[in-house]
Amino acid sequence: MSSNPYLAVDVGGTFIDFVHFDPAQRDLLVEKIPSSGSLEARFFEGIDLLGTDLSDIRVIVHGSTLVINTIVQESGARVGLITTKGFRDVLELGRGNRPEVYNLFYKPVPPLVPRYLRFGVTERLDHTGEILKPLDENGLRESLLALLNQGVEAIAICFLHAYANPIHERRAAELASELCPEVQICTSSEIVREFREFERTSTTVLNAYTQPRMGNYLRRLERGLTERRYPGAFAVMQSSGGVTSSATARQVPIRTLQSGPAGGAIGTRRLGEALGLKNLVAADVGGTTFDVTLIADGSLPERSQACFNGRPVQQATIDIISVGAGGGSIAHLDAEGGLQVGPQSAQAEPGPACFGLGGVEATVTDAQLLLGHLDAMSYLGERMRLDVDAAEHSIRDRVATPLGLSLKEAAAGIVHLANMNMAHAIRQVTVERGHDPREFNLVSYGGGGGLFAWALLEELDLRGAIVPPHPATFSAWGLLQTDYREDLSRTFVKAHAATTPAELGERFGELEREARTWSTDQRLDNENVSLILTRYAELRYQGQEHTLRIPVQTSDLSGPALDDLRSRFDAHYDRAYAHALSDHALEFVALRLTASLTGVKPTLARLDSASDPVEEAAKGRRQVSFGTSHEVVECPVFERGRLRAGHLLSGPAIVEEWNSTVLVPPSLRVEVDAFGNLLLTVKR
Amino acid sequence: MSVDPITRQVIRNALGAAAREMQTALVKTAHNPLIYEVQDFGLVLTNRLGQMVAESSGLPGFLACLPPTIQSGIQRVRFAEGDILLSNEPDDTGTHISDTVLYLPVFFGGKLVAFTAVMAHWADIGGITPGGWCPYSISLHQEGMIFAHNKLYSGGVLNEELLRFILRNVRFPKLVEGDLNAKISACKTGARRYAALCQRYGAEVVEQAMFEVFALSEARMRREISAIPDGRYRAEGKVDHDGVELGKAHTIQVNATVAGDEMTIDWTGTAPVAKGPINHPLVGTAALCATTLKSLTMPFDATNDGHLRPLTVTAPPDTLVSAAYPAPCDSYGYVAEVIVHLIVRALAQAIPERCPAATYQMCAYNLSREGKDPFICGEPVDGGGGALPHDDGPSGIMFAGNGDAPNTPVEVIESRYPLRVLRYTFNLENRGIGKYRGGFGVIRDLEILENGISLQTSTENNRHPLWGLAGGGDAGTTQILINAGTDHEVELDDRVTFYPVSKGDTVSLRTANGGGWGDPKERDRRRIAHDVRNGLLRPEEAAEQYSVDLAELQALI
Repeated sequence: MSSNPYLAVDVGGTFIDFVHFDPAQRDLLVEKIPSSGSLEARFFEGIDLLGTDLSDIRVIVHGSTLVINTIVQESGARVGLITTKGFRDVLELGRGNRPEVYNLFYKPVPPLVPRYLRFGVTERLDHTGEILKPLDENGLRESLLALLNQGVEAIAICFLHAYANPIHERRAAELASELCPEVQICTSSEIVREFREFERTSTTVLNAYTQPRMGNYLRRLERGLTERRYPGAFAVMQSSGGVTSSATARQVPIRTLQSGPAGGAIGTRRLGEALGLKNLVAADVGGTTFDVTLIADGSLPERSQACFNGRPVQQATIDIISVGAGGGSIAHLDAEGGLQVGPQSAQAEPGPACFGLGGVEATVTDAQLLLGHLDAMSYLGERMRLDVDAAEHSIRDRVATPLGLSLKEAAAGIVHLANMNMAHAIRQVTVERGHDPREFNLVSYGGGGGLFAWALLEELDLRGAIVPPHPATFSAWGLLQTDYREDLSRTFVKAHAATTPAELGERFGELEREARTWSTDQRLDNENVSLILTRYAELRYQGQEHTLRIPVQTSDLSGPALDDLRSRFDAHYDRAYAHALSDHALEFVALRLTASLTGVKPTLARLDSASDPVEEAAKGRRQVSFGTSHEVVECPVFERGRLRAGHLLSGPAIVEEWNSTVLVPPSLRVEVDAFGNLLLTVKR
Repeated sequence: MSVDPITRQVIRNALGAAAREMQTALVKTAHNPLIYEVQDFGLVLTNRLGQMVAESSGLPGFLACLPPTIQSGIQRVRFAEGDILLSNEPDDTGTHISDTVLYLPVFFGGKLVAFTAVMAHWADIGGITPGGWCPYSISLHQEGMIFAHNKLYSGGVLNEELLRFILRNVRFPKLVEGDLNAKISACKTGARRYAALCQRYGAEVVEQAMFEVFALSEARMRREISAIPDGRYRAEGKVDHDGVELGKAHTIQVNATVAGDEMTIDWTGTAPVAKGPINHPLVGTAALCATTLKSLTMPFDATNDGHLRPLTVTAPPDTLVSAAYPAPCDSYGYVAEVIVHLIVRALAQAIPERCPAATYQMCAYNLSREGKDPFICGEPVDGGGGALPHDDGPSGIMFAGNGDAPNTPVEVIESRYPLRVLRYTFNLENRGIGKYRGGFGVIRDLEILENGISLQTSTENNRHPLWGLAGGGDAGTTQILINAGTDHEVELDDRVTFYPVSKGDTVSLRTANGGGWGDPKERDRRRIAHDVRNGLLRPEEAAEQYSVDLAELQALI
């Protein structure tokens, strides 16, 4: 087992977090610097600040928001698109639906490739991959030259049914690389091997659109690392929750879309394993958004498709619900005079009124300051002093006076509504999916993790709430808990009754061969990693649309028939929807293979057991109001760094560290566990 | 009693979340693609008086239909805890009988406090054609089973005789039974959430909070109406025929009157009830008036009873838009589209900046085979959206009443059915010209790969196209061609049922534009250049339709 240290670099909207873990020592080193300016420069600046010796490090895992920002800000490359003749408008036509049913002015987002940069080429396959019309290479050359004349930086190629047979796309890519060596070429079949032409085209175009920018960025980082004689692996977090090599991320940047929030979800699952907890709600409380992931029975929920800014992406993604709620959420009165909190946010600039950076809107942070949840003098380890007068002004003018409420009532109302918005997001992933919140523990992290945990615990009647050590950099820590991962899939539409175990085995065999090639390509130290392959089938009752994903066991592929798979599907369906149709015909829709390269991961650092009484950790007292009762309670304030395993605190109390505050109202108690987590539970 | 503003908002939000939970339960457990794929349903929570407190839906027109159905039940039925009722009389529900309502009275502490309700298209309702949408019925009784607030559950006990009767009278009993259970689970989900709120805040506080929300929403809606100039605004449109008397067009006339903070929408001047099934019940007409007014004034706010109050809807008895029993209503959807676009057309005289031109009239098809190797491939076809007062209309978008329902991917169609899609592209008929042009319709060409298949189509307004606004061109017409471009080309300019097609035949569906908005001469030259550059408009067309100088245009490209 290697004892070399690991480094995670997590880029967020406002900060870059650095987490350095050295298995030989016990503490994590944590650094946080603003993400403004050149990201590459910041990347190395943070490493220098940490005092890290790169030649010693074994793996750097990078979480990046570059791809999602490129898409949201529409700042990607000039892309040309080649499609099957007769279908060049698929990208713009989409599926025709109107997501805003009352909006008479609804228009779908404009395509990222305008029509004059989209060319149809004669060729045709059917859904089995059989060639109906050969590829017209002369026509293709003409189209490529036309795109070249238009100065495109990247070309996306997406033919009908290419998921079943990539032969035409591969040949087209070859020709394109010959004719346009300076242009990035990207085919649909190297990114998605599933049907639905609009979604696949959209994914391929988004990949081409982000490829030049992400490619250049990662190449610059790789160069910088080489210059600094870094010998280890450089990996990038994917939406799926696994990492991939920087080289793959350059080629398929679309896989890193959810790179940011995935780290926290993975970290939560890891924490759950260490604590023996299988049912967890991971909640990342930032300044602008609140990201929620449900971990039920130890597994992370996944989806094979998501939508960003109205543009679908067919890629394996952890199912993360994101709502506009956080410390920066703006409180305002709507046109009917109702108090609303969010989804608009004051962002990092100008920020809440109390930051004194020119913000005038009343935000949740302003309300928390007036309620004593935050200390004006010690915010961010005294790196920032909060302006109480500015907070009072904004809340009085914008909320209290128009609603005829006192300042405290208005502030308590704002915090309460923010809590409710977050609670509704958690309800979406629990109650709405048939899970009882009372069986779940909340893991609350991010800058605001400790400020909202108590309210969510009480509102949702959760079993407990956990605020991990260093909650503000927990997502970066999560990046260190990941495996290398590759998701392979094939559309495979066939009746269950007509499919033999041998045929299924043959199909999975193709995917497994690809997985092994991928594994070798990662060039990881073979002694320390093992390849784990997991097979799944997407199945449904014939005539249905929605599928269920059922694990396929090795015994399924060697038996005489696929009966056992069928009964597992029926049982799963019955649990999910209470209406199993055991006599109804079943069909396969897709086969999936997940390949993971599992290596050594940092373990959780243990905290010394308490020898001194908890009072020794107290550093002062503060007046706080909790909830809507407006009652002011005097709370002792504890220094988190001085708490030890086994310490117990009874609310009311506040636990502070330099970049986070944990609130404990009178109704709750806190236990410090062996890893330094704060476990909040309701006093019974 | 007055509820503090924080609690009021919490209750309002919680009820909205409850409605969304009802939708999740319905979609996840439904067996019928019309529910889980096409989203042909509406869900509401009402208070004990049947006033809407929260909603969730794929189709906006359905929502305002549910409260009147419940209010009609309140007049007629003694409710007990554990009751679940069925109702689909068009006079109550405002649509066709396939859209049957299932609703549940919610009790808390032994008292009736609320209702939860779902309206969804049944897989079959036992009428003259499978699955409803009969194009040629002449009486409601041909269209299927009628439910008059019948209790499927009474005091928590299933009425097994009624269920057995229903399942024997529908063509797809398994689908219908599965969907019934899905609707029950949706209504129970909403009921549980409502009761939990009562437990927490008290039933009186929950009710009072929503009364206060109604008052605030009503005040807001009155302010919105006050901002519309007072006056009488009239508009008129036509549908081609009723499916039975094929040569006879029907006029629909709307007369909207704005006076201060109230609005009346009257339909005097509309043709009498039609012989065929295109009739629209008054409850449904009123619902469309309410949702259209809300779309024009405050599209993004969650709807409640307060929004519906400042509007009065009237019509003489027994017209096309105030049809009553026993008028056939199964193909009501064409008239529904015209109703919505007519209200917008009338109000465009008062608030043109908020009124888009008409979108193409609905178009849908199904290709099916009975007997050996049966299949049915049906989908709506997208078309041109009407031009906006400040922008070109969206291209390839579904007609207004289709809500959030998508079409089917080409690759899915080809892997499921003996069909091949030859082309899916913009239909570049430039009829909806204007300062802002209507969106383009689409061309969807299909090749039939096997024998014994028949075609059914939905299409309207091909003799009387829907309109542009403020001088914009009309939306044009939808064309359906069999074997286009061959010597045996056939144009189907009308609805067909059981039209036979064989291996090698092609079906070309070419949907209309949306209408244009404003004088084409005022169109920004850069927009014209953009269209020419993107191959949406030929330079000669640009010169002819927009009086643009070709040299000037070339310079812009």
